[in-house]
Amino acid sequence: MGDSAVDDQAFETYVLPEIEVLLRVANSLTRNHAEAEDLVQDSLIRAYRGISRFDGRHPRAWLLTILRNTHINRNRRRRPELLRDPDAATDRLVSAASDERTDAGVDDEIDAEIIRALDSLDEPFRRVVELVDIDGLTYAEAAEVLDVPVGTVMSRLHRARSRIRDRLDRVGFDPRSHM
Amino acid sequence: MKTWMMKLFGRTPPGGMSCHQVGEVLQQYLDGEIDAERAGRIEAHLDECRRCGMEAETYERIRATLAAQRPDVPAESVDRLREFGQRLARGEDPTTP
Repeated sequence: MGDSAVDDQAFETYVLPEIEVLLRVANSLTRNHAEAEDLVQDSLIRAYRGISRFDGRHPRAWLLTILRNTHINRNRRRRPELLRDPDAATDRLVSAASDERTDAGVDDEIDAEIIRALDSLDEPFRRVVELVDIDGLTYAEAAEVLDVPVGTVMSRLHRARSRIRDRLDRVGFDPRSHM
Repeated sequence: MKTWMMKLFGRTPPGGMSCHQVGEVLQQYLDGEIDAERAGRIEAHLDECRRCGMEAETYERIRATLAAQRPDVPAESVDRLREFGQRLARGEDPTTP
């Protein structure tokens, strides 16, 4: 399938080490583990086909772009309802994931309040917090996944965390008595 | 002490940055998305300013709680995908057994 041994080597060097990150982000995007694995498989195939055009710089960012586009294409094929009302459809998925998260047993009240605050955020804000704070992406990597400028990631993140902080303030959270 | 009072009395705010300036970049600092020089000045400010220090601790708590929600990625899934990728790199069709 490969054009050359050089491309095969580049694929092993640049792509294989990023599989775990890709799977983590795919889980965030799909909220479904089996679907996430399929998404990463499709992305690997696209990355393999495109490796000869990749310049070797920022492989994670390149792969996250492929993952995002593959996710969009898969949804277009398989979930026409996402095209009609993408926010509502995504919210249903997010809502299901939030239920799982809450059921996972958060034993600390402050932690629970933070999770509730996250779940109450509008989708664009919640999404960026999940990518950066939960999945551990950098601002630039989150920007690739969301297809927005880095500045947008920063402003959404700032606003989202401020809202979470405000909610903690309202319940009387004092960091120095909890750390 | 307010920045304008500090200027009036000839005092520089901690780290040479006002609380407002620190507030604008605090999250970038906590995310490690800021250069070392500015990070050092922010640290100096946080060491001396109780209000900004508490703000930073609140955000640290939020970040720590959210990071703890990171779901485990099943090792068998990663292994399967790695094998899939290795077969691609060997020129095989990974969709066939």
